[in-house]
Amino acid sequence: MICRILVVDDETGFTKLLKMNLEKTERYEVRVENDSTKALNAAHEFLPDVVLLDIVMPGMDGGDVAAQMQDDPLLQSIPVVMMTALVSQEETSQDAVAQAGAMNILPKPVNLEVLLRCLEEVLAKKN
Amino acid sequence: MENNEAQLQGLDDPASGSAQSDFGRHSREVAYLEAVIDNLPVGLFAKDASDGFRFVLWNKKQEEITSIPCEQALGKNDHELFSPDSAAYFRQVDELVIARKRKFEVSEEIVDTPESGEVWLHTIKVPIDDVEGQRTLVVGISEDITEQVHASEQLAALNENLTEANQELKTTQLQLIQAEKMESVGRLAAGVAHEVKNPLALLLLGVEYLSGGIDPCDPNVEEILKEMREAVDRADKIIRGLVDFSSQRQLEMEPTQLCDLVEHSLLLVRHELKKDNIEVVTRFEKDLPDLKLDSAKFEQVLVNLLINAVHAMEDTVKPKLEIILSSAKLEGIERDEGLRTADHLRNGDEVVLLKLKDNGGGISEENLQKIFDPFFTTKSTGIGTGLGLSVVRKIIELHNGGIDVRNRLLGGVQITITLKVPARGGNELT
Repeated sequence: MICRILVVDDETGFTKLLKMNLEKTERYEVRVENDSTKALNAAHEFLPDVVLLDIVMPGMDGGDVAAQMQDDPLLQSIPVVMMTALVSQEETSQDAVAQAGAMNILPKPVNLEVLLRCLEEVLAKKN
Repeated sequence: MENNEAQLQGLDDPASGSAQSDFGRHSREVAYLEAVIDNLPVGLFAKDASDGFRFVLWNKKQEEITSIPCEQALGKNDHELFSPDSAAYFRQVDELVIARKRKFEVSEEIVDTPESGEVWLHTIKVPIDDVEGQRTLVVGISEDITEQVHASEQLAALNENLTEANQELKTTQLQLIQAEKMESVGRLAAGVAHEVKNPLALLLLGVEYLSGGIDPCDPNVEEILKEMREAVDRADKIIRGLVDFSSQRQLEMEPTQLCDLVEHSLLLVRHELKKDNIEVVTRFEKDLPDLKLDSAKFEQVLVNLLINAVHAMEDTVKPKLEIILSSAKLEGIERDEGLRTADHLRNGDEVVLLKLKDNGGGISEENLQKIFDPFFTTKSTGIGTGLGLSVVRKIIELHNGGIDVRNRLLGGVQITITLKVPARGGNELT
């Protein structure tokens, strides 16, 4: 079964390569949204199985996107995996992130193997 | 010398008078003259050039200066009274005075004296033919300038100390600027690391994709390689930016485009701007002239101001930062009579203006008076040391520029930096 993943990150190069890598496994269909303010619309349209969310983004940060998904009856059940290039634990464990219901936080650079395992675990839990 | 009176050997010979009545008058004149000579505040001596430059006059002050009594000096020459070197020198000057038949001035000469050691003299020597024209005298007038010379030496030493202290102060100022910069580097490090980690993340994904084997027909490969190259460039640029920024150098003014420095500085604080969702609008006038700037230090100014603006807009709903670069002639435009305008610039100067406008909370009138004071900060302990703006002003002063900080009418702060455009081919700022 092919799972749908929505990637929300303003780093265009990174998302392009992430999409290529995930789709190469032929297990995932990936949609990329580089503008975080359009993330909720994209989620509504695409109805992904998982959302991969960057934390630091202009417009709306990952914490805000996750919080709004929590408030949205249609989206609140979709698991969220956060990705971040933030370095300090202090920053990554900010209340906003913790409260946003993110199931996992992955550090950037993301090891593909770790990411795929994480996605499998998250999807297994969801199902 | 008996009775401490100057003696004019041979000149006060009563036999030279023609009559007894004249003799009385003559004696009185000689006594009068001797009194004058002895009370002169300068050393007075005369040597007979026609008699081996033997001394024929030696006044009281001359005794004081040389510690040689008159009776010991009269009839002797320099070689019998002074060290061989001094005597040879005096003789040389005496001979010159006689040969050229004119006044000779020695602004500084040294005499070794048995009691006072080295004595510095300012001496004037004049050739005088005596009344009968039978002999030529070298008359010398010496002023003891030992105290002045010592004072002047002390002054020179003090001046040297002052120059050293001034140099030390300058070095300390540069060290303070550097210390403040390293603190900024520490604060920027997390943001810079974030900016580097993003391209690293891309590179790792590229490696992951390609390590599965490269299919020559895969259209993604070319795209991935292009992205990877760009990521390396981006990481390199930001790391180089930080290294250049933190480099410690003496003040090095070089022709610089201010807009390049603004771009570099924005790169260093990109993470902070992005994190707080700050919209950055830049308006740079085209073809701005080069300025003579120390780029690393000027970036410090910009980074400090940008970080301040970021902090000032923490509670702003739609934070917006405008950076405007324009050229102007200081004449005809209204001079900023702001609270802290440095005074190096003159009307008529061609200048480049850098305006930085934020829409944060502004600065209270009370704090506006203190913002450039060292250690003044409104930030919590640990966030700011209060050195940022004082260093900003110091660096701008080093560039002979001006900075003006004022609240904007509709909220926020406008900072204007005025920098003089160096005259073509000139070295004003070197």
